[in-house]
Amino acid sequence: MYHLRSLIRQVRAEVLVLPSRVIALVFVIGLLLFPLLTQDPYLLRMLILASLFSIYAASWDLLAGYAGQISLGHALFFGVGAYTTALLGLHLGLHPYLTVPLGAVVATLAGLFVGVPCLRLRRHYLALATLAFPLMLTGIVFMFPNFSGGEGGIWRIGRLASTRVGEYYLIVGVMLVAVFSLWRIAGSRVGLIFHAIREDEVAARALGINIVRYKLLAFAISGFTAGVAGALYAHFARIAGPSNLDLFMSFQPVIWTIFGGAATIYGPVTGVFVLYPLLDSLHVLLPQYRMLLFALLILFILRFMPQGVTTWIRDAIETSCPSCRVRNAATRRACRACGTPLRN
Amino acid sequence: MRSLFACLVLTVALGIGTCGQVIRIGVVGPMAYIQGEHHWYGAILAAEEINAAGGIDVDGTKYTIELVRIDSNEMQPGPEAVGAVERAITALKVDFLVGGFRTEAMLAMTEVAADYKKIFLIAGAADDALLKGRVDKNYDRYKYLFRVTPVRSTYLAQVSFILLREVVETFRRELGIEQPKIAIVAEQAAWANMIVTLVALQAGAPVDKGGFGGQHVGTWRPSALATSVAAELSAVERAGAHIVFTVFSGPVGVVFGRDWGRLQIPVATVGINVEAQAQGWLEATGGFGAYTATVGIYAEGVAVTEKTIPFVNGFRTKFGEIPLYTAGTYDAIHILADAIRRAGSLETDAVIQALEVTDYVATLGRVAFDELHDPIWGPEHLTGLGVQWQEGAPRAFWPREWRPDPTAQPDLVIGYPGTVPYQIPPWVVDHWRGTGK
Repeated sequence: MYHLRSLIRQVRAEVLVLPSRVIALVFVIGLLLFPLLTQDPYLLRMLILASLFSIYAASWDLLAGYAGQISLGHALFFGVGAYTTALLGLHLGLHPYLTVPLGAVVATLAGLFVGVPCLRLRRHYLALATLAFPLMLTGIVFMFPNFSGGEGGIWRIGRLASTRVGEYYLIVGVMLVAVFSLWRIAGSRVGLIFHAIREDEVAARALGINIVRYKLLAFAISGFTAGVAGALYAHFARIAGPSNLDLFMSFQPVIWTIFGGAATIYGPVTGVFVLYPLLDSLHVLLPQYRMLLFALLILFILRFMPQGVTTWIRDAIETSCPSCRVRNAATRRACRACGTPLRN
Repeated sequence: MRSLFACLVLTVALGIGTCGQVIRIGVVGPMAYIQGEHHWYGAILAAEEINAAGGIDVDGTKYTIELVRIDSNEMQPGPEAVGAVERAITALKVDFLVGGFRTEAMLAMTEVAADYKKIFLIAGAADDALLKGRVDKNYDRYKYLFRVTPVRSTYLAQVSFILLREVVETFRRELGIEQPKIAIVAEQAAWANMIVTLVALQAGAPVDKGGFGGQHVGTWRPSALATSVAAELSAVERAGAHIVFTVFSGPVGVVFGRDWGRLQIPVATVGINVEAQAQGWLEATGGFGAYTATVGIYAEGVAVTEKTIPFVNGFRTKFGEIPLYTAGTYDAIHILADAIRRAGSLETDAVIQALEVTDYVATLGRVAFDELHDPIWGPEHLTGLGVQWQEGAPRAFWPREWRPDPTAQPDLVIGYPGTVPYQIPPWVVDHWRGTGK
């Protein structure tokens, strides 16, 4: 009873005071209750894939949005996670509950492998260097077709759960934990250091921050999270193939993040949950105009909401206190933290 | 205004009232490629014919066919294929599925069909493993899968062996080369693996032991989406090959035909090249694809059954092309319609039972399914054709005087009217004539 009361108090104090957090809470509750409303396999599939891609997009946001390490080869981590779990299952017959974490660990190592040679590179040089890594892995996959499945990829990968609802709760659960963890990391001291590195690397070093360690940490965390997404995806789609490593796969998290709002963690999640179902529905409704409409929507957002949809909505429903910078609901007259008047 | 609204409501209501019952068939294929286009074209022709004839009579109720185009983008297999099929079943509510192309993708797509208990008539993928080890080992799960075309890889290999033997014999007869050197160029795809292994084994084996009495000089495996095979062809030439055995289903077939003719590589090509079954083959290869020989289903003026020529002509009139084997969706839909009529029900198990006892004369031969739900291959059933591009058209050179079983049935000779002898390309003749090696 005490814990319940404490939880309610915390929700009241931390969540219900800000409209954006209320929206996030409603979203989480909605996701968890969704199978109780309908178990339509098509809708569940759409939400499962959106959850998987949310993990993937959020991992890119931590690396590029927070730490400023713009990666255009993020599919490497996704693909490494997918291939590792598939190969371990295929050749050693291991259970997905073992191969998925191993896939994430190998993707973390891949993150470090990419991070080390890229330490001295910045901006577009870094972006171009990271672009090369998934292409290299694709080449390796093609070199050993008998082991890696070559162009055809690896099929017959085991399922995560016997039912669609089981898969849904497993993947949505992992997504919520992963995104919440990334959000906590982004808001912690580590996240602050990532910010500092992104804004001014020289100044951060002058403050005594070990730039090398934190850059590698960003690559490792991002690689791990993208690896989890890739490994789960392989089990859900039951394939790990070269398309997991292709250019479009690398660009997708960039699109989702820019659409939703970079350096927010919840922005890419929003981006995925809006854009993925939209694109998938257009497959059914207007297949021939799908990509055109998608491109027009992205252009519209870039033109009118350059900071991303979530940032635009948040700025519309919340204000920042001019004195203590704490965010408040736009309807408030005084800051909830320091009492400074918010409106004249 | 009110009367206009009433008219609209009436029209819509009448429209709904008269539209009748519909069977939705999902046509699965790589729609951005010619293979997928022909899946779709074949299905359109079948649906139009059936609907024009009043639809399918199911226990007194008439059903018309509505096709749903499903782009599985299988040429480079990825999760999109699985997603496309699942979307078709769950969102577009298809009742049956036909088509499919790449084995790798089909293995996963047919799993989805089995999950949702949807009948999937395969028209495009050959690998044995699509049905063998599934329908026989786990009938309850995989009973929904049937293959209409092509025949399974083992039989496809058998047909391509017969064609290779024809070419080897022609080299012996016309150029005096007793032990022709055979190279293999096959795309990287699961369905090709077994064929490649068998040809490599048989190439050097003596004729009296069922081999070709030649010599295997190497195997090359380019990508199914390769944009040049000049390196592979140069290696084939350096290896001194007389004949190159091809195994292509993807666009690399066009690239191979173009590079082979352009570089005048002194080897004769025979085997499987799906792109060479297309009307636009010569145009696609820049005119360099003449004399390419491939296993095929349809050829100029060859009547495999009484339905073949009307279908080929109808296809050509409507779409301006000769059908590829993937246009076997035409036969697949007719076979499905026939089974539904016989079952007198749309209930899945009843249709499966009806399909299992199918004996249907299709455009590609007489279709009956074996215990694996594979079409029976051989005389009086499906044989396929050996097709070579001669004088600007695909002409059948096999079966001409084929004796399937000379010992047990010496009098059984199979040959379709309209077949012509195989021709070695002239530059190959010029290169090897008189060398005797």
